[in-house]
Amino acid sequence: MRKLEFLIRRLITSLFVLIGVSIIAFFLARVVPSNAAALYIGPKARPEDIERVEKQLGLDKPLPVQYSIYMSELIRGDLGTSIGSKRPVLQELTERLPATLELLITAMVLASLVGVPLGVLSARAQGNFLDVIVRTISIVGVSMPAFFLGLILQILFFRNLDLLPLAGRVSGDLRFTSPVEQITNFIILDSFLTQNWVALKDAFLHLILPAVTLAAYPTGLIARMTRAAMLEVLEQDYIRTARAYGIRDMIVTYLYALKNAISPTLTVIGLTVAFALTGTFFVEIIFNWPGLGLFTVRSLLNLDYPAIMGITLFGATGYVLINLIVDLSQAWIDPRISLK
Amino acid sequence: MNRKLFAFIFILVALIAASCGPQPTEAPAAPEVPAEEPAAEPVEEPTEEPAAPAAPLVLKIANTANITTWDPVASFSTEAAYMANIYEQLLRVNPPGAAEKFTPLLAESWEPNADGTVWTFHLRPDVTFHDGEAMNADAVKMSLEAAADHAGASFIWWMLDNVEVVDDLTVNINLTISAPADLIASSLYGAWIVSPKALEAAAADENFWNDGMSYGTGPYMVEDYTPDQEIVFTRNESYWGDWEDGQFDKVLVQIVAEATTQQQMLEGGDVDLVTRIPVENYDSFQNNPDYTYYEEASFFNYVGYFNTLRPPLDDAKVRQALSYAIPYDDIITIGAKGLGTQSRGPVPAGVWPWSPDVNQYSYDLEMAKTLLAEAGYEGGGFDLRLTYAAENDTEAAFAPLIKDSFEQIGVNVTLEAIAFSQQWEEAKSDPANAQDMFLVLYWPTYSDAGSDNLWSLFYYTEAPFFNLSYWNNADFNAMVDEAIGATVTDPAASQAKYVEAMNLLVEEAPGVFFFDTKAVFIIPNHIEGFQYNLNYPFVQYFFYDLRPAN
Repeated sequence: MRKLEFLIRRLITSLFVLIGVSIIAFFLARVVPSNAAALYIGPKARPEDIERVEKQLGLDKPLPVQYSIYMSELIRGDLGTSIGSKRPVLQELTERLPATLELLITAMVLASLVGVPLGVLSARAQGNFLDVIVRTISIVGVSMPAFFLGLILQILFFRNLDLLPLAGRVSGDLRFTSPVEQITNFIILDSFLTQNWVALKDAFLHLILPAVTLAAYPTGLIARMTRAAMLEVLEQDYIRTARAYGIRDMIVTYLYALKNAISPTLTVIGLTVAFALTGTFFVEIIFNWPGLGLFTVRSLLNLDYPAIMGITLFGATGYVLINLIVDLSQAWIDPRISLK
Repeated sequence: MNRKLFAFIFILVALIAASCGPQPTEAPAAPEVPAEEPAAEPVEEPTEEPAAPAAPLVLKIANTANITTWDPVASFSTEAAYMANIYEQLLRVNPPGAAEKFTPLLAESWEPNADGTVWTFHLRPDVTFHDGEAMNADAVKMSLEAAADHAGASFIWWMLDNVEVVDDLTVNINLTISAPADLIASSLYGAWIVSPKALEAAAADENFWNDGMSYGTGPYMVEDYTPDQEIVFTRNESYWGDWEDGQFDKVLVQIVAEATTQQQMLEGGDVDLVTRIPVENYDSFQNNPDYTYYEEASFFNYVGYFNTLRPPLDDAKVRQALSYAIPYDDIITIGAKGLGTQSRGPVPAGVWPWSPDVNQYSYDLEMAKTLLAEAGYEGGGFDLRLTYAAENDTEAAFAPLIKDSFEQIGVNVTLEAIAFSQQWEEAKSDPANAQDMFLVLYWPTYSDAGSDNLWSLFYYTEAPFFNLSYWNNADFNAMVDEAIGATVTDPAASQAKYVEAMNLLVEEAPGVFFFDTKAVFIIPNHIEGFQYNLNYPFVQYFFYDLRPAN
């Protein structure tokens, strides 16, 4: 019951957060001195053409009126039309979302699967050579810029070793040899569901380098966080007691200790998802990954304000939801955390 | 509860790992036949041994050009690279030096009346649009009138009175003044002939063009389009120009923004052609026997506006002095990596009405100092604010050279890199307080830099169009009007008038004419048929011309 109450309360506050974000984004996008109608139609447009487009886009109305129109259309699921592509913003976003999610989920799973064990190993070997290596790896992971790491990986694995593809989500030829039947737009999932193994392999190989690049930062962060939390937990009395009972070290570490140490790591994972979402901006450009990041960068450069609004709201909603999920799951894992 | 949680997490991880994880150990070596290809029509006689369909001949291109719209009427941006393969104009301008000035496309022949106000176009018979509709006089009338009404480049038809259907295959383009309708009708923007059905459908549904449709007469059609990712073109089998052996069945364009990625794709064999390679890497291709390196004149040039509304730039002597203080050669060597030639006025070399008789400034600091002194600014002593487009690497490379050079004559320059759209907005909305100098990369919309570059950049109108120097010279305006009016009826007199106008412009120096750029193409030897056409700079490749080398 308390959980339901908490959920409802959080959803309501989230709504206010989103409204706040929409107001800030809407007015900020228009502070930038540029003429949206001229951007829409091109710099050589005649004054009468600009006037026509201003009317068409509703730009001739006062800002608060424009905002209220935008919000009333938003409620009906209309995010406006992109200046850059002249297509509905919602369509642009939903078409690109699977590509970004595919990359993001893979990177986060990779980061968690590698980061958590690394942190545990490092904590168990505190002060040893292994600890130093893991700490070095995590610092490198956190501090190396994504665009640099991405280029290095491309040069190594595409140019020098010829092991992995350079860029894109699948090979260009694939559509002529083994076209993927689109069901969910998650290529890996679709090719798995349709048992298109050639496409699955191809898509998987294309995913490796961008996912590794995107995973570098969260891996480092998760490893460091897990290490710190584990060090604290391993000092606890109940761990010593468990060891004194002769319970196997692996069970003590991975079951008893990690369970209690995972809570702060979960928070970090939640926050790094949001960070990784911005990381996709660089990674998608380097790897020509047709997701939200590539679209965001293009929209920002073109001052495509309907697209920028849509992306901001999309991102803010994702961020709010992830935070909510993290809070809920923490309370689930650790009953001491109360939902207030 | 906790056990449940761990069970849940494990199952989740296992599921995700299963979906990404199992690396197929062996890819089936057998030729892939799409298992469930939906057949358009039922196969009449299923034989036991279906003949393996010949693999399509595919041309693969990495292109930076994105799609801002698939609407051929609205199109006024990078998608021109593809539009020119899907749609056709009545005629196409040939590159300089060709035997004929035009290539007939949907018009077989055309002629103006004596004063160049009525142009009769005789259309090619038996041409159909991709949707099966007949290409005829009605279609031409509807397309051109739609362009004049609401095209992205509708201004090119500002003098259009109407398009008159004479008979099924003849139209008269009636103009309000004498103008080169042949050049205008060959424009890359606002001159495509489109299926009337599509125009009607688009008028009723604003999202009609969203998903990559093609309703032209061109040799290729859009088969599939994934935004930001790729476009697949397929042959228009009923193309009026017919097909020869060896032409490509399909063209796969991958949209790749990064020049470095494009280069790696080309060298790695992922694609046959690219559109952008980092300039600093051109050398490695120039000496590579596997590639042909083309360095050609282009449609583009760099111009700098002086804000002539405010002192000291309202004084022509000061502007002349500053024009002498521009290090033209260094700008070309450093800013353009050697890929340019100093401009003669605002018309790029090779484009009408360019002429070698137009004067240029040389780099002469002593002359600059003398002129400043004559204007009452001995030793300079004033500040200028120069803006350039932050997204333009070339401008970023050469703007500091201007600052350094101006400092030597005592003029202090503050450089400001801002988005092009912002500097354009600043210059348009508040001329009196706008920047002192404004760099711009300019190109004409169609192959007439007289009515475009000269008129657009320096002709005075009360609300500035593209004349962001705000220069107002009645003599210049009169000369340009006269030259434009004589373009069709007396080209020689028109050019002479244009030269006179350009020399006045250079002398009065409301702007700096930096350099005409060069276009570079790097074509691997396994592709034949590449032909560069300066008049269509955004169409790097006409797919129909290309063939695999033997």
